[in-house]
Amino acid sequence: MTRPVRSRWILPLGLVAAPAFHAALATQYLSVAEAQRAMFADADAFHALPPVDTALATELGGAGWSPQVFEAGKGGARLGWFIVDRVIGKTELITYALALDATGAVKAIEILDYRETHGSEVRLAAWRKQFVGKTAHDAVELDRDIKGISGATLSTRHVTEGVHRLLQLHERALRVAD
Amino acid sequence: MEIARARPWLGTLVEMRVDGLAEARAITAIEAAFAEVAAVHRLMSFHDAASDLSRLHRARVGAVVRVDARTWAVLDAACALAEESDGRFDPTIAPRLVERGLLPMPAASRGSASASWRDIELLPRRRVRLRQRAWIDLGGIAKGHAVDRALACLRAAGAATASVNAGGDLARYGIEPERIALRHGDAGDAPVIELGDAAVATSVVATRARAAHVNPRSGRALRARRAVSVLAADCMIADALTKVVLADARVGERVLRRHRATACLRDGERRWRILGAA
Repeated sequence: MTRPVRSRWILPLGLVAAPAFHAALATQYLSVAEAQRAMFADADAFHALPPVDTALATELGGAGWSPQVFEAGKGGARLGWFIVDRVIGKTELITYALALDATGAVKAIEILDYRETHGSEVRLAAWRKQFVGKTAHDAVELDRDIKGISGATLSTRHVTEGVHRLLQLHERALRVAD
Repeated sequence: MEIARARPWLGTLVEMRVDGLAEARAITAIEAAFAEVAAVHRLMSFHDAASDLSRLHRARVGAVVRVDARTWAVLDAACALAEESDGRFDPTIAPRLVERGLLPMPAASRGSASASWRDIELLPRRRVRLRQRAWIDLGGIAKGHAVDRALACLRAAGAATASVNAGGDLARYGIEPERIALRHGDAGDAPVIELGDAAVATSVVATRARAAHVNPRSGRALRARRAVSVLAADCMIADALTKVVLADARVGERVLRRHRATACLRDGERRWRILGAA
């Protein structure tokens, strides 16, 4: 039985005017192609549909809203739809994919990438200080060294609203295309 | 190779990372772990009419309601923490949160502002009885429980390193510790935690206008611009203890020690101090 790996706090040592180090997270979980395979394992084809009609897109999602819609199929039969969309929160930009089955019901949701934008930088002064005397290469490693952030809970309200918007899009433009 | 996935659950983004497993096994483990999160979400939702909590809220006062073993376990932990903290953590404060617009009003039941955790009676064989009308909100503890259950799935699958982060409620284990930045509100110098086999949860009291934290004992909103992160063996305890420490640091100190947990508390002047067992 191995000993559990210990934990410890590293507190800021004072108001060190360290340059803002971007501890904002940017993570890519899945590419579009990986998400297609993950969410429609049986499909042998994904046909990109033409962009959503501008008037409908503006009505549902506002000017500039342009989700990418694919039809997932196998042997010529339609399995459902695969849609990539983006939502912007107060401090984050989220790209996600929604899989709808052939009846238009939600099959799965996957976050493709998550990126924090402005307003979320933290300066890790104490942490930097540990690197005094080390090489520039070590300092560069800092960014990659932070594996996560624990803070005020991020709301996924925007993703939920986005999914509702895509369901309306399906109802209005995809389903009736039969 | 590390495999990472994120999905929206529990009102936030739940991220899972697995290392040391073949890709197909890692994905199977992650699917099982997300199924656990989904189950907790469904069972312990405050507003979903089909949740265990909604069934309990709709039942007649004094009626015995059978709930899922997971719901029973979280209710049990919530009541124990309420007892230990002398009510600084209380799963029955929902009526006050509804009143402040912090929780949606349930349609089919009424909650009493005079109810406390003492009105929740936990009976054998997963049964629960309410001694008076109450609304139970497990928002301050269920997310941590979901994280623990998901991590247990990844561990059972044999991953060498794994982590689950539900919007800042994070638990992990692994060969090496990992560094997690603590975001205590506004930008500025932030503490970092090196997390080994443990969990960390953070609660931030934002500006008073949108503060979602109420001291259950006094009924008053907590002081703004304070934040706390709690380090504990499991995420359910870490999650719930953040609320105790924010409500009352002195009581928090005592309860932290009892659970061999520590906390990093930030006051309104952006100073940090460590509470709990050294």
